[in-house]
Amino acid sequence: MEKVVTAVPRPKTAEPWKQISFINLVLIVLAAVVPLGIGLLAMLAGLQFELALLLVFLPVQIVVGSLVGRRVSGKRGMSDAILQVLVIFFAASVFVLLISVVWSVLESGVKTLSLQFFTQNNVYISQTTSLDYGGVGHAIIGTVLLVSLSTIVTVPLGIATAVYLTETRGRTRTLVRTLIQALSGLPSVVAGLFIYAMFIATGITQYVGWTGSLALIPLMLPTVARVAEESLILVPQELRNGALALGAPAWRAFWLVTMPAAKSGLITAVLLGIARIIGETAPLVVTTFAANGTNLNPFNGPIATLPTYLYGFINSNFDTAVQRAWGAALVILILVAILFIAARVMTRSKKAKKKAGN
Amino acid sequence: MSETEVKPAAQRRSLRAKPFSRSDRIFYKTATAAANSSIVLVTLILIFLAWRSWPAFESQGIGYIFGSTWDNNPDKMIMQIGPMLWGSIQISILGVILAVPMAISIAYFIVFMANKKIASGVTILVDLLAALPSVVLGLWGLLVFSPVAAGWAKLLHDTLGFLPFFANEDGNFLRSPFIAGWVVAVMIVPIIASVTREIFSQLDRELINASLALGAGRWSTFRRVILPTSSGGIVGGVLLGLGRALGETVAIFFVLNLVFQVNWWNILEAKGGSVASMILAKFGEAGPAEVSGLMAAGVVLFVVTLLVNSLASYIVAKAQPWRK
Repeated sequence: MEKVVTAVPRPKTAEPWKQISFINLVLIVLAAVVPLGIGLLAMLAGLQFELALLLVFLPVQIVVGSLVGRRVSGKRGMSDAILQVLVIFFAASVFVLLISVVWSVLESGVKTLSLQFFTQNNVYISQTTSLDYGGVGHAIIGTVLLVSLSTIVTVPLGIATAVYLTETRGRTRTLVRTLIQALSGLPSVVAGLFIYAMFIATGITQYVGWTGSLALIPLMLPTVARVAEESLILVPQELRNGALALGAPAWRAFWLVTMPAAKSGLITAVLLGIARIIGETAPLVVTTFAANGTNLNPFNGPIATLPTYLYGFINSNFDTAVQRAWGAALVILILVAILFIAARVMTRSKKAKKKAGN
Repeated sequence: MSETEVKPAAQRRSLRAKPFSRSDRIFYKTATAAANSSIVLVTLILIFLAWRSWPAFESQGIGYIFGSTWDNNPDKMIMQIGPMLWGSIQISILGVILAVPMAISIAYFIVFMANKKIASGVTILVDLLAALPSVVLGLWGLLVFSPVAAGWAKLLHDTLGFLPFFANEDGNFLRSPFIAGWVVAVMIVPIIASVTREIFSQLDRELINASLALGAGRWSTFRRVILPTSSGGIVGGVLLGLGRALGETVAIFFVLNLVFQVNWWNILEAKGGSVASMILAKFGEAGPAEVSGLMAAGVVLFVVTLLVNSLASYIVAKAQPWRK
């Protein structure tokens, strides 16, 4: 007896090579447009924006999407359409939030910016002083000083940690990796309290710039170590082995082969580390205090930074003070953006080189 | 076959090369010392904070954690952080609940829906969101977001006010845990999203293709293949976000009204707490005894976040066996 095999009809979703028919294309476009229109109509009818979005647009979009999904690719198309609608909705809401932050800082901050806002300091400036006087010059200098001081200490430490994690088989690697990861969630105010307990409460020093730099180190270290570790891991093992086989001692193999190969990644690590701490406020409030004058010496007296400047003006009822806060926020954002773009360019140029090499 | 002749197995030798030149030894010693400095750092933080906070713990006893009074009258100092501790947990949970759908959606969009160009653009934007300093987010939260979110809160109260946690008696919707939860959510979305994206992008493509080839749609692939294989990593990412949320200081300080009275569920009322923000709020005009109490709060915060973060990084590391 011969077995009779009957073919099961192929599900529609299993035909990705099929062209979407014209009618279905129109339906898909309609599914994207109609709910938007209905939502807008609901808003025009006087419904609050949030209600129109959540109670009219989203349900209509889900229903229309699932109907069209069912028409186009069968029963499974329904749940797929719902998934896609929800994913896009949530993802878009993240962008609305991000754009809201960036746009409000840009919009309000630009009004404050002027040449003297960058060059003057905060001496004789009160909450109500007109924006024609005073600025963040001293705070920019302070931020640069403190952050570079932390960077000088943290970068060798972080990169050496990454070397330990990638180049050696030390016993405490897992522990160190876990602690580094855990330190990345260290509450910034605790870092400040730690330095306060160590140096200021014990009477070793008064409020001074370098304690602020020290407080930033535990916050910067995890970022530098992690990104550096990732870039060192990416260097092919063959390169190291080749150098060692040629008789190079391990440190020269690292210095002359591994490190140059991972150069852009290491620079990215430094830049991202700086971006991480440049806006830290709480540790500086606890350890360096704010100053109104320009202080060029982080080892003597309190020093002002951009975040503490912003912190000082934020909770005010006066428009001019709030304007200063927005201006400082914009300056911080510009600094972060510069660091970010630099990091991007670094990684980009490496990829471009790789492509050219191939 | 006879089994009598058993050759003695050779002793296992450990094949370990030791650096023999002095320069190499220095190189490895330096790296080891630097790496172990992070262990030293964590220990030092614990020692110094514990030392400085001991007077507070000693005078307040167990009531420090569970009580809910803060009175800095120098004769009879009462320092108890119960409401702040609960507030931190409440806001973090709220933030995680709000952030998880957004974060997973972003990760799913980047890895499985968008084409390469859009995906890399979206990744940059998420990284940018992660780089926003918390003081900037605090400014935005206070001046731009709070009024909007207060509108949402009012809407929630008007429509669902019969539910106990949407109750609000005095009609003031600003400076509530609800708003703080949103601000925290904005901060932790990029953290959860980047871990989830990493996990998603390292999933075995053949698994997904096999699922699609069997006729499963996107939804069933997501539900039955992607989620089960990546759930460990996602949980780790969520815990990382939770750890960050627990320690968030400045942004919450601006958008939340700190009240020393436990507010269990009424998230729309202007009564909340946060250990980190309380430290910042009280530090400025605290005397030595009160500073000791704040240090104690720092110890509690540090231990809690260290535990949460260590657990999180352990889980994330477990979920990423390709990173060895």
